Amino acid sequence: MLELKDLYFTVPEGGNGNAGERNIIDGINFNFEKGKFYAITGPNGSGKTTLAKLIMGINPVSQGSIVFEGKDISNLPVNERARAGIAYSFQQPARFKGITFRDLLSIATGVEEEKKLLEIISRVGICPLSFLDKEVDAKLSGGEIKKIELATTIAASPKLAIYDEPDTGIDLWTIGPMVDLLKKELACHSTTTIVVSHNRVFLEAADVILIIDKGRFVYTGNLENSLPLLADLSVCTYHDSCEGEENAGCLR
Amino acid sequence: MLDALDKKLLKTVADLEDLPKGAYNIRKNGKLLHRQKSANINIETNADGTGIIVTIKPGTKNESVHIPVILNQAGLYDVVYNSFIIGEGAEVTIIAGCGIHCGTADPEGHAGIHDFQVGRKAKVTYVEKHFAMGEGRGRRTLNPTTKIFLAQGAAAEMELTQIGGVDEADRLNEATLGPDSLLLITERVLTDGEQTAVSTNNIVLQGANSRANMISRSVMKGNSKQTFYATMEALNKCFGHIECDAIIMDNGTNETMPSLKAKHPDAELTHEASIGKIASDQLTKLMSLGLTYDQAVNRIIQGFLK
Repeated sequence: MLELKDLYFTVPEGGNGNAGERNIIDGINFNFEKGKFYAITGPNGSGKTTLAKLIMGINPVSQGSIVFEGKDISNLPVNERARAGIAYSFQQPARFKGITFRDLLSIATGVEEEKKLLEIISRVGICPLSFLDKEVDAKLSGGEIKKIELATTIAASPKLAIYDEPDTGIDLWTIGPMVDLLKKELACHSTTTIVVSHNRVFLEAADVILIIDKGRFVYTGNLENSLPLLADLSVCTYHDSCEGEENAGCLR
Repeated sequence: MLDALDKKLLKTVADLEDLPKGAYNIRKNGKLLHRQKSANINIETNADGTGIIVTIKPGTKNESVHIPVILNQAGLYDVVYNSFIIGEGAEVTIIAGCGIHCGTADPEGHAGIHDFQVGRKAKVTYVEKHFAMGEGRGRRTLNPTTKIFLAQGAAAEMELTQIGGVDEADRLNEATLGPDSLLLITERVLTDGEQTAVSTNNIVLQGANSRANMISRSVMKGNSKQTFYATMEALNKCFGHIECDAIIMDNGTNETMPSLKAKHPDAELTHEASIGKIASDQLTKLMSLGLTYDQAVNRIIQGFLK
């Protein structure tokens, strides 16, 4: 249902006055099948989030193509990909002033009626009903905003849901139910699910593990066979503090 | 009687479809158009005939008074002095606002000079909207002044909004807070084109345990310019906070000058200020939910000024 064909994301290499280029995503080919659960993992700076953002259209494709349900979406803007059925849950969700969870849910679902919104929250389950009129602002805790982000993504009932580090800021007791929720959505709606994570709980839940290193998939397959490679790549344990590709200051 | 234009202006500035229930005083082109008192709210013209005195009886609960002003007379600059005396323990909502319709090349303007005496443990909510429209190119000016005195334990919540169409605005808000009193001011100003708006706020925290929170939200479109001054002066053990955020669109400019003066060792004063364009992560988020770029911008601005 989603095909990445010879996909590149290239940035200018700025160091020491040399004008060069660097491939953050370096020629990826992969076919994601409908209704499967994929976990993308790999070391810091390997290109996980960059790839997820390429699929959503947040990063522009430098070369190659992305085909979604038979249609080339490589040049579609973010909002048209959303309308085509792709939803994206950000690692660090945006905070607003004067925009509530209700507003985000309404935009994501097209529903404004109070009763239906409450039904959606109940169905999604991760946020209490009292969250509805919470402002999605700087006052929310990291866990609260992440729950809102996840709920908004699930509420949109996408064909393809991408979750970038969904457990960041979420308490340990919520991670298990969160995995169950993603699996339930997949079972009920055949939602193709891509999770970018280092968390073993998500890796264990996935049908397919994709290990990315230096912008290329170095492994695709089940968890069991991936373990030696994961140990070799010494997957970062500082992901809670990691600010993603934009932050150069790696803590390792 | 209210004509169609009056009704449109009243709907925009006071959310009124027709004459309101309860007490009201509607002023049009510098003259009284309609007035109604209620059992607990008295409205009378002041001694020199330059405005009104609104008196709320002590203990009045859940009542409101509308005092909108509408202007559509070319060349008129209407100045009005209104006083509000809110009795002990009363709880009242005052809905003010000025709507200008400018149909010619002549300027039109209004200056509403309002002073509030809020009695012990009384609570007032003051909602003021300013708006101008019309096909005329005459300059539309609104220069309001609000002076507020809060007695012990009194509370005032003020929502001051300038929605659009006002070429020039110079606002002055002054407040003096007694012991245990509370003041919340939220000001929202949207300017466009070549419009300018200046807001000057002087808040004196005089009484022990008084609290004040001033929030300012500004959006500058086109080549418009806004200037925001806010001074909080603490003369006692108190708490004060200023939060001023400005979003620049197009070629708008903004100057923001929050100032804190602690003249008592137990004063706690804080401020946060930001000026900038719409954050790209906010735009990306809303676009990832299906909105176009323009829809996302509108939604963010709408929320910001809500």
